[in-house]
Amino acid sequence: MLNRDAYESAFARFSETLPAATIAPRRAALQRFLDTGLPGKGLEAWKYTDLSPLGAEAVAAPSVRGRPETPLPQFPGMHTRCWVNGRAPDVDAQAGPVETPSGEHAHDGLANLNAAFALPGIDLLLDDGASLDAPLHALFVTEPQGDGEMVHLRHRIVLGEGASATVVVHELGRGDAPRWSTHLLDIELARGARLRLVRLQDESAGTRGWFEARAAVHGDASLDMTQVDLGGGIVRNDWRPRLLGPGADVVLRGLMAPVGRTHVDSQFLTEHAAAHGRSRQWFRGLAWDRAQGIFNGKVVVRPGAQKTDSEQRIANLLLSPRARINAKPELEIYADDVKCAHGATFGRLDPAALFYLRSRGVDEATARALLIHGFAEAVLQHLEPAELRKAVVARLLERIGNEIDPEVLA
Amino acid sequence: MLEINNLHARVGETDILKGLDLTVNAGEVHAVMGPNGSGKSTLSKILAGSEDYTVTEGRVRLLGQDLLDMSPEQRAAAGVFLGFQYPVEIPGVSNMVFLKSALNAQRKTRGEPELEAGDFLAWVRHRVKQMKMDPAMLSRGVNEGFSGGEKKRNEILQMLVLEPRLMVLDETDSGLDIDALKIVAEGINALRSPERATLLVTHYQRLLDYVQPDKVHVLSGGRIIKSGGPELAHELEEKGYGWLSEQRAA
Repeated sequence: MLNRDAYESAFARFSETLPAATIAPRRAALQRFLDTGLPGKGLEAWKYTDLSPLGAEAVAAPSVRGRPETPLPQFPGMHTRCWVNGRAPDVDAQAGPVETPSGEHAHDGLANLNAAFALPGIDLLLDDGASLDAPLHALFVTEPQGDGEMVHLRHRIVLGEGASATVVVHELGRGDAPRWSTHLLDIELARGARLRLVRLQDESAGTRGWFEARAAVHGDASLDMTQVDLGGGIVRNDWRPRLLGPGADVVLRGLMAPVGRTHVDSQFLTEHAAAHGRSRQWFRGLAWDRAQGIFNGKVVVRPGAQKTDSEQRIANLLLSPRARINAKPELEIYADDVKCAHGATFGRLDPAALFYLRSRGVDEATARALLIHGFAEAVLQHLEPAELRKAVVARLLERIGNEIDPEVLA
Repeated sequence: MLEINNLHARVGETDILKGLDLTVNAGEVHAVMGPNGSGKSTLSKILAGSEDYTVTEGRVRLLGQDLLDMSPEQRAAAGVFLGFQYPVEIPGVSNMVFLKSALNAQRKTRGEPELEAGDFLAWVRHRVKQMKMDPAMLSRGVNEGFSGGEKKRNEILQMLVLEPRLMVLDETDSGLDIDALKIVAEGINALRSPERATLLVTHYQRLLDYVQPDKVHVLSGGRIIKSGGPELAHELEEKGYGWLSEQRAA
């Protein structure tokens, strides 16, 4: 049962900080959320991730102000902007009006919850032909706070014709308290625009996180996305790019590395709505302990999207007997002149490769780490600059409890 | 240097080595020849510490240390090097990272300081040149997409970088064209020294034309059934292995 009182009173507290004119649509979104509840079993898209039992737990309004308590990661050559507990300290941004979900999202519980509570996140608008001076490192730090506290953010990246940008979305959670985190990102790439997007999800183990990105990719525009899931408790990722013009190009890469009892459910839906589009879905999964991973990669080719070129590859390594990964590449094709390939593999660390490394003097733990890193490298090699890659590798090795010096792998 | 006494080993329920005795002194090169299924590869892998086999009896000592009590990585640090018959491909781990990890791990175990990055690079480049390999291979994955011959050459490169005391080369000559065979042989000869010993496991005489053995042994049915000088290899090349089994049976 949904704890309606908790959500109502959290909203009442939150709405005290809002401009009066923006409250009504948010309240309407809250109402729709209360009617729908949290998604879970019974919904095909949420088959593996049942959030509905969590609705009974207490929740709290987002913090009014936050301050980072510990040093923050920065990467050379990047411009870092930091949000703490959902608030950007460097601007006095009021939570303003938020577009409420419509169409297929109108009855989406989490989209409505986000719409009710959303704070302003990334808002990047580039004119035709413009480009960012330096990659944007958008860092979302969540510091320890009370149980059930929620951080909901709304982001927008809109690039004009021929514009280009590199954005790193970095979620970093600290502390053990259970909490909610949702991010809704809308991307629009006009003709010939280029967006390189990296998402590093390194939330705390108590975090129930939802991240959804919808992207409209017009002709000759390109979206190049690399997602790395390193943390979180119950994590759900939804990527929904649409190729809307000829020559559109969408590459989605993902690496998930859940440990402990982490549950990561990543859903990717690439839709070819125009001819001559190219898309790639390249995912790698590593699971330890009793962790669970889900990859659902789907490509839909709409009627008329001829000469579509799409490929999906999912490879997984299970690193303990109780770890589980469900991976499903799916294709739905309504055009007849297309090239679509897909495949999924599962395996364990290759004993022959382990012995080969050990026979050269490398101890067993390091040999395992080298092989695991080597497997992840297919995704990690796309992280730039090198410092960002190194930081991710160091975090990955730390998560798996290996003390191998990341410099060795540099 | 290497003393093997009464070695018995099995894989699953099948006995493969049945009382093998072999002594290789420092400075010597020994060739072990024999028909398919005689236990040649098993012997090589057991020396390197493969867990695919169970040693049921016997003793193996290297420089007075009991090898069978040691893990594969301890054996490597003690000086054992196995040139694999089928080198493994490891995508995502570059040859450079592989060599650096291996050399520094061995040095650490032996209580030697790790090499400075610059010194290491110079050392590896020198060895790559010696093996007439393209230095670009260093940034590629270990054996990834290498031809059979390139893989074997890479084994010898690793050996030259690591400078082991005991070199066990399991059919390193198979799959090599004549030019590659010469380069591989030069690599092996470059490490011949009074402090090292070599065990060449091979089917054919041709590698032995370039790497002169001091002794040749015939392994058959899990035991050394005949030992002799280099001339034994020529005899085997001419007559095959059949006459030895017949001789034994008689």
